[in-house]
Amino acid sequence: MSRRGSIAVIISFARRGEEAAIRQAIEHVTRDSPGVQLAAFGTPVSAPVLHSLGIEDVMVLGGAQGAREALRAARARRPELAVVVYSGPGTGGHLKLEALALSLPSARLWRFVPGEMYRMVTRPGLALAVAGKLVQAACCLIAGGLVCSAAWIWLRLAQLLRGGRRARRA
Amino acid sequence: MRQVRATLVIVNYDGRELLARSVPAALEAARAAGDHVVVVADDGSTDDSIHYLATTHPEVEVLALRHRGFVHACNAAVAAATTEAVVLLNSDVTVASDFLSPLLEDLSLSDVFAVGCKFLNPDGSLTDALGNRTSCQWLHGMLYVHHETDPSRLMETSPQLYANGGGMAFWRERWLSLGGFDPLYRPGYWEDVDIGYRAWGRGLRVLYEPRSVVFHEQGSTMRRVHQRRYVELISAKNAILFAWKNLLDPALFRRTLAAQARWAADDVLIGGLPPRTGALLAALRQLPEAARERAREQRERSASDREILNACGAVL
Repeated sequence: MSRRGSIAVIISFARRGEEAAIRQAIEHVTRDSPGVQLAAFGTPVSAPVLHSLGIEDVMVLGGAQGAREALRAARARRPELAVVVYSGPGTGGHLKLEALALSLPSARLWRFVPGEMYRMVTRPGLALAVAGKLVQAACCLIAGGLVCSAAWIWLRLAQLLRGGRRARRA
Repeated sequence: MRQVRATLVIVNYDGRELLARSVPAALEAARAAGDHVVVVADDGSTDDSIHYLATTHPEVEVLALRHRGFVHACNAAVAAATTEAVVLLNSDVTVASDFLSPLLEDLSLSDVFAVGCKFLNPDGSLTDALGNRTSCQWLHGMLYVHHETDPSRLMETSPQLYANGGGMAFWRERWLSLGGFDPLYRPGYWEDVDIGYRAWGRGLRVLYEPRSVVFHEQGSTMRRVHQRRYVELISAKNAILFAWKNLLDPALFRRTLAAQARWAADDVLIGGLPPRTGALLAALRQLPEAARERAREQRERSASDREILNACGAVL
């Protein structure tokens, strides 16, 4: 149970088709903490979706500058609860959202997977998940870099060997 | 204006129920517009599609193929056609009875390779699937295809990046000289974008024709056969291969490779579909094939990437 007037920040991608999951998360939050004020992170695209779900206080992340300002605004609200809303089953991916939740000074952290009850998570627990996913992200980036480097080398060599011309201008 | 004869090709795979709607509509449209042929290219169906056609619509020609996927079925059907023009239709597309004449009228304009239909949902609302007045966007080093969803901007015949393969008319000879749908994109997705891009690259045009209305049951073909994750993987793999094959401008190509490498990390940063790293690895397996097709593009292209992209709505 939270204090009346305390703030819960909903952290989601709020993409099209995710409205139902966010609505469920809001229901859980308001049932658990009656009187809680809702705020959310959003983008210029997702802000209208969040407004339509009844969240008036949307901090818009847009570009590096916008992200810093939105984060500063969220910290200034001193939210009691941060809720990460996942897009689908499981808690894979979503590193951006988890890192955002971790950066807030919230006393409580929830993870909300659609169709399930919320899961409370400790700050060290979330930090561990974020660290693990950072390693995964680095591996994906390296894999992507290797594949694209191989593509560049192969396609360039093929072009040189065949003596292919570059596209002529019409 | 001389009468152009067309073959309406319905590509089918295990779509017996869909054929019950699409074939009668195609036959009616073919009769209404003149002397045209309806062919069903059956991609090795395991249901009773062929028996249904033989007993219910004996006037329809059936091209029975070994199951090799949508791309091969389309290419085989166009190669077998005997008319000047061909109209490709998905089995989940039901045509309006007057859809054919405007397509053939537009094809007769100079330098036109293909003309795409106006795609509507079965209830007549505007479809959300790609198809209507397609264009492209260059965003953070990646090429995205886009379609118009504002009905007020879908009133006039206009140029577009590509005609959706589910409802497109084209000149058979030009299709053959372009090499048809590229099997690089098997089992499907992006093959229609690719042939549209290649046509623009050879100084031809692709048009959108809003008077030619077809009704599309979204996701009734590929998504009916495959799991969503697989469909997303194939689509992403083909988007990568499209860039590897077609982006010949050195600066744009470097930018897109850098963006694709960064994109892999989105598997963890964002998650969900498509599986980006998996798509890159799947594309890597087809790299030699992409290199061969890229070499052909380098030989035959007459317009630069920037000219094509600018003509199709991208701001570089």
